[in-house]
Amino acid sequence: MLEVSRLRKVYGADPQAAPAIEEVSFEVADREFLCILGSSGCGKSTLLKCLSGLIPASSGEIRLNGEPVTGPPEDMAFVFQDYSRSLLPWMTVAGNVSFPLRYKGLSKREAQAATDEALDAVSLAGMHKRFPWQLSGGMQQRVAIARALAYRPKILLMDEPFASLDAQTRSGLEDLLLDIWRRFEVTVLFITHDIDEAVYLADRVLVLEAPAKVGLDVTVPLPRPRDQLTTKALPEFAELRGRLFSAIQGAPVAR
Amino acid sequence: MKDGRVIGRRAGLFLLQFVVPVALVAGFGLWSERADDFFFPPLSRIAADFADTWLFERVGTDLVPSLARMLAGYAISVVCGVALGVLFGMSRILRTATDPVIQFLRALPAPAMIPFAMLLFGTGDASKVFIVVLGTMWPILLNTLDGVRGVEEQQLDMARSFRVPATARLFHITLPAASPRIFAGMRTSLGIGIILMVVSEMVASRNGIGYFVLQSQRSFEISAMWGGVILLGLIGLALSWVFVRVENRVLRWHRGARGLLPEPATASGRTGLPRPTTQEVTRA
Repeated sequence: MLEVSRLRKVYGADPQAAPAIEEVSFEVADREFLCILGSSGCGKSTLLKCLSGLIPASSGEIRLNGEPVTGPPEDMAFVFQDYSRSLLPWMTVAGNVSFPLRYKGLSKREAQAATDEALDAVSLAGMHKRFPWQLSGGMQQRVAIARALAYRPKILLMDEPFASLDAQTRSGLEDLLLDIWRRFEVTVLFITHDIDEAVYLADRVLVLEAPAKVGLDVTVPLPRPRDQLTTKALPEFAELRGRLFSAIQGAPVAR
Repeated sequence: MKDGRVIGRRAGLFLLQFVVPVALVAGFGLWSERADDFFFPPLSRIAADFADTWLFERVGTDLVPSLARMLAGYAISVVCGVALGVLFGMSRILRTATDPVIQFLRALPAPAMIPFAMLLFGTGDASKVFIVVLGTMWPILLNTLDGVRGVEEQQLDMARSFRVPATARLFHITLPAASPRIFAGMRTSLGIGIILMVVSEMVASRNGIGYFVLQSQRSFEISAMWGGVILLGLIGLALSWVFVRVENRVLRWHRGARGLLPEPATASGRTGLPRPTTQEVTRA
């Protein structure tokens, strides 16, 4: 379980400066799929960096399974928005996926097995020796997801992972992610600015208002397994979408 | 059919690059045989002297010492330049503090330090290596520094989020990411290193190719002098040929990432894409 209580983040030393995160509190249950929805500039990425322990919070507390988060936790893996800048172009696909595993205390054989399994899960089996720049954008993001999966996290943080992909690739990857979420039994914290994506994927959607405070917290009652066509045609889908849309419109936009 | 024409054109272009050098050498050869010019002895004599001297009589006494001093200095520069460049690139305080000194040393023409090097190290190998280091270190250091500063923050964040330790981040992210710049610096320094090798050997030296060229001129063995000059040119060519081969190999990923690799590599990448064609065929 991930607990965030009264998290506040101000960049720089000046405590009077405008906060990037004003005050955020929420919880994510084990194996829950939570989407955080917010317009650009509302502090989504800052929030995720705090949660992952990459930057310290100014005040408040983050606890993962009861332990306070002070640095990157072992049970967490991060998927960045910009795959082209988070994959290492000098390593092969397999090299990228197994890179973090070398420092996790896995033997060579274990790391190899985890890499194979993860690449298999994102349908990239047999791509081991390719380089990221030989792959399409969707495939590169799948490599990044495989890297996170091979790390065997309990919680997956995803920062707008599909934002720079075309619509078709994107819906394919959404379904892939739902499949992985179920099979690997992970908690997913997914940040997006796309309302449809949030409603389609999540158990629960949080709306973040600038400067990063929780505006709305809604449970998504849509049945699983979900399907791009039938789920999105449900009246509940349209209703939720409308509610979230007006909540985001009503939220003050940063700057 | 089309392939045959493409290959023919490539072969033509390949041969074309030899036309001008061959014509120049042949032209000089023909002219010099008849000209009977003191400064430009006949090519046949230069060639004969070259063969006499460099196959392989003076290889051990002059060529090897020259190359050894140059490569030793170059190696020291690469190691120190990269190490200091990484250090200064990662620490703003060190960078700011050392910048004026580095700028001064970089601007200082290295041969100006030859007299001092002789005071410090005498006329042996050490003073020559010192001069080579003094001239070749700065391009490597400054390029490394820039390269390290230009590393994608997100790649480092990614590694930190996966708890990759700092030394591994240095060796597997910072250094590879900076390697295109490091190679650019090393390439500049290689040329400087050859120049300094020759210059340092022309002052207070007992062997080396630079020494040989100067000695030949002083004893009016002009064709031997030209032989030395030609050897220096060939060494420069050979070293840069080797350098480019190594660079192409090490930085293949860089050229690939920028879409600069010739067709086969990218084409094999394309075949990795999901292949709808086979499915479509079976469906049809």
